[in-house]
Amino acid sequence: MFLQQLVNGLTIGGIYAMIAVGYTMIYGVVQLINFAHGEIYMLGAFFAVTFISVLGIPFYAAFPLAMVCCAVCGVLLDIFAYRPLRQSPRLAALITAIGMSIFLQNLAMIIWGSRPKPFPQEALPAYFEKTAASFGGVNLSWFHLFIFGLTIVMMVGLNLIIKKTRWGRAMRAVAQNKTMAALTGINVNRVISYTFALAGALGGAAGIMVGAFYNSLYPTMGYVAGVKAFAAAVLGGIGSVPGAMLGGVVLGVAEALGAGYLSSLYRDGISYAVMIIVIILIPAGLFGRVLKETKKSM
Amino acid sequence: MIPILEIKALYKSFGGLEALKDITFNIDSGEIIGLIGPNGAGKTTLFNCVAGIEKPTAGRIILTNGNHTIPIGGKKPEAVAALGIARTFQNIRLFDNLTVIDNVKIGRHCRTKSLFFGAVIRNKFQQAEEKAITESAYQFLEFVGLQGRGQEIARSMAYGDQRRLEIARALATGPRLLMLDEPAAGMNPQESRDLMDLIHRIRDNDITVLLIEHDMKVVMGVCERVVVINHGEWLTEGKPQDVQNNPKVIEAYLGTGAANAA
Amino acid sequence: MGKLEPQNLTRGAKIRIGLLVFVLILPVLPFMTDYLLHIAILIFLYMILALGLNIVPGFNGLLDLGYVGFYGIGAYTSGLLTYHFGLSYWVIIPLAFINGAIWGILLGAPTLRLTGDYFAIVTFGFSELVVLFLTNEIWLTRGPLGLPGIDVVSIDLTLFGGPKWEFVGELPYYYLAIVMVLATVFVMYRIQDSRLGRAWFAIRDDEVAAVSCGINLLAYKVIAFSISAAFGAVGGSFFARWVTFLSPDMFKFWESFLILCMIVLGGMGNIWGVMIGAVILVSLSEILRELLPLLGLPVEVRFLAFGLIMVLMMRYRPAGMLPIAAVAAQMRAGRTKRRKTKPALGKKK
Repeated sequence: MFLQQLVNGLTIGGIYAMIAVGYTMIYGVVQLINFAHGEIYMLGAFFAVTFISVLGIPFYAAFPLAMVCCAVCGVLLDIFAYRPLRQSPRLAALITAIGMSIFLQNLAMIIWGSRPKPFPQEALPAYFEKTAASFGGVNLSWFHLFIFGLTIVMMVGLNLIIKKTRWGRAMRAVAQNKTMAALTGINVNRVISYTFALAGALGGAAGIMVGAFYNSLYPTMGYVAGVKAFAAAVLGGIGSVPGAMLGGVVLGVAEALGAGYLSSLYRDGISYAVMIIVIILIPAGLFGRVLKETKKSM
Repeated sequence: MIPILEIKALYKSFGGLEALKDITFNIDSGEIIGLIGPNGAGKTTLFNCVAGIEKPTAGRIILTNGNHTIPIGGKKPEAVAALGIARTFQNIRLFDNLTVIDNVKIGRHCRTKSLFFGAVIRNKFQQAEEKAITESAYQFLEFVGLQGRGQEIARSMAYGDQRRLEIARALATGPRLLMLDEPAAGMNPQESRDLMDLIHRIRDNDITVLLIEHDMKVVMGVCERVVVINHGEWLTEGKPQDVQNNPKVIEAYLGTGAANAA
Repeated sequence: MGKLEPQNLTRGAKIRIGLLVFVLILPVLPFMTDYLLHIAILIFLYMILALGLNIVPGFNGLLDLGYVGFYGIGAYTSGLLTYHFGLSYWVIIPLAFINGAIWGILLGAPTLRLTGDYFAIVTFGFSELVVLFLTNEIWLTRGPLGLPGIDVVSIDLTLFGGPKWEFVGELPYYYLAIVMVLATVFVMYRIQDSRLGRAWFAIRDDEVAAVSCGINLLAYKVIAFSISAAFGAVGGSFFARWVTFLSPDMFKFWESFLILCMIVLGGMGNIWGVMIGAVILVSLSEILRELLPLLGLPVEVRFLAFGLIMVLMMRYRPAGMLPIAAVAAQMRAGRTKRRKTKPALGKKK
């Protein structure tokens, strides 16, 4: 049982990690909790299903295509909803983010209906179902390995982008000090859009994997997953990408073990409780990146 | 002279930056004392340590009240205000969107008590308290020369008037020591003269005044004693004329202060 | 309050009295139906809730995303006390108030020292936990099955040898709701014009200056949050005794958002603005509920519309329709009052 839960936890933890890095990157560059990020995750799943079922695009192509669409959605979100409020106080931006979240959730409900949909399993590679490894009473399917592998590849890729590329450096600069970054010739708005794109792509990928693996898509799936991923980002220290990754995995495992051993009813509650406790006790999270205090009076 | 405030070996560091080093001096009850020094010397930091906004890294700040002494280093700002030390801000921090009279009424906060039930039920105590708050607020406005302007919005006032309002608010907190941070900044000579007169009147009401100021005319005109700090350290203190002629002080200012005082 | 002769009243007062009269006679007007009465009561309920929430962002500048938690706690406490002990509603109102206030203190004390974003998230988490609790603790709340059979409100004079009037239909609740709204507005006005209200406005305007006047930030924020929670709970208690049936999904985040929309739309911090916001959004919600199927659109478009309204409001009129100067100044983009304070001045943890 423990191993089974551990595997479940690592699987979902990797997903949380991918969504969490999106939150943390966006918070890093614009100091905004992008409430609508969960909806981008949800859209990823729905885009993929639509591409596969309606347009007949094969899975391996639909996946990156949906990711790209999510990246675009992220950028549009920034340009139309958040950028005009760049100079506004946080209250306004927060309310806008919630408004966009609700807007997107219901838009999805209108387009795709509110009932849960299955993922077209026949589109998935056949070997996904097959067991790749088996130990201690736990079966690891190729799908599991695909998710683990893809998550790791994306995390590594993200780290490389942040550390080694020009864009990554620009993102870090903007996160540290927007004014100085602008003064060194960085196009801050474009970097922010780029960050949204990256966050969107990763979130979308997570959505596709969840939709396919758990074989269920519904317009509000981004809501709960989003909060949990945010909890993971906070746990890791908001603004810290490695923190978000670690936080995601820790939260996923904690949730799976908690649901398995304590109470499955409060599965979601574990994340909320972790989040509240972490915020109150150690707001800087595991990796101790101090939250920039931008209270208006300071 | 009985000291009202004693600062002993005060240190304040911000990370690696030592803003205040071993500052020691007393403020005597009833005096008007100036704190001067070049920009960046640490004057406002000193204020902030006394007022409770900053916590001293080391050293003590002791407030004397009659027979007892109260250490206030590290106390929270609202506690310091309640103990009788008021301050104004270098960059004027009024409640911009509130009326002039409300600004002063809020100053009375630490001397009053009513909360939710008083507000809703308006019992005798709350009514009496509100009446007292309002009356005293008007008195403070009159004291600083802003009578009749209670209903104006603070934001819309002229700069000099805003300074006076801030002083009225600070006086409303019922202080024994009033700390003014560059009150004459941006004032024309007439306003400065009015300010000096106001400071004298404040002292005549048994309030000790500590003032940070760059305008040497004001310092010379109003301060009985001057403490000079530079680079976070105590440089010298004494009567204004003596300090003004002290070569170390002139050197600290590189001549700018000395030129203005002529 | 002075003399009530017409010539002594201001125009504003005349409008308000006229409205009050209108509202009082509304039920007897020919076009009124039970359905419309029901909507009116709903509007009044949301007015109370919105006025309660208004204290936190409107008077204190913080975003409370978990308001529905207090609403739910108030409703279920009221419902359960009635269901199990048959308590009279007149006893429940003050109990709900106190209960809400206590929860407000419990949640507020550890969290109000946080910055705005974190505070918003924590309150959100709180309300989600409340819903989870209500859904899962079936032994207490019957969970998703809901809690039916809550007594209606009654005026019980049997102790004095008199009759017992049970509320039947919408009409008694209509007048009760009016009384409760008036009481709430009364309290809000009294607070606004008091030392407590001034302290809140001071905090909202400039925390550092407020502190220099002796105001303990955390204590006053907790008081605000606690009173806000108390009103949420009272609203919940009314709801429980009115619809006489409760289920956890009535207390989801959407409600918090809706109430937030009302105060944002109407004008945060403005008592009348908030009430108007409630009128508009509840009416709009009902109108859309009828209208959308006629247009071939699903009912969920309502929510979409509200989300969009909020986004547009923040973009173009962030201070709401009836803004008050202090909040408008805060919400304006590219704030002109950038203080050039040195970092040393405001470095609180």
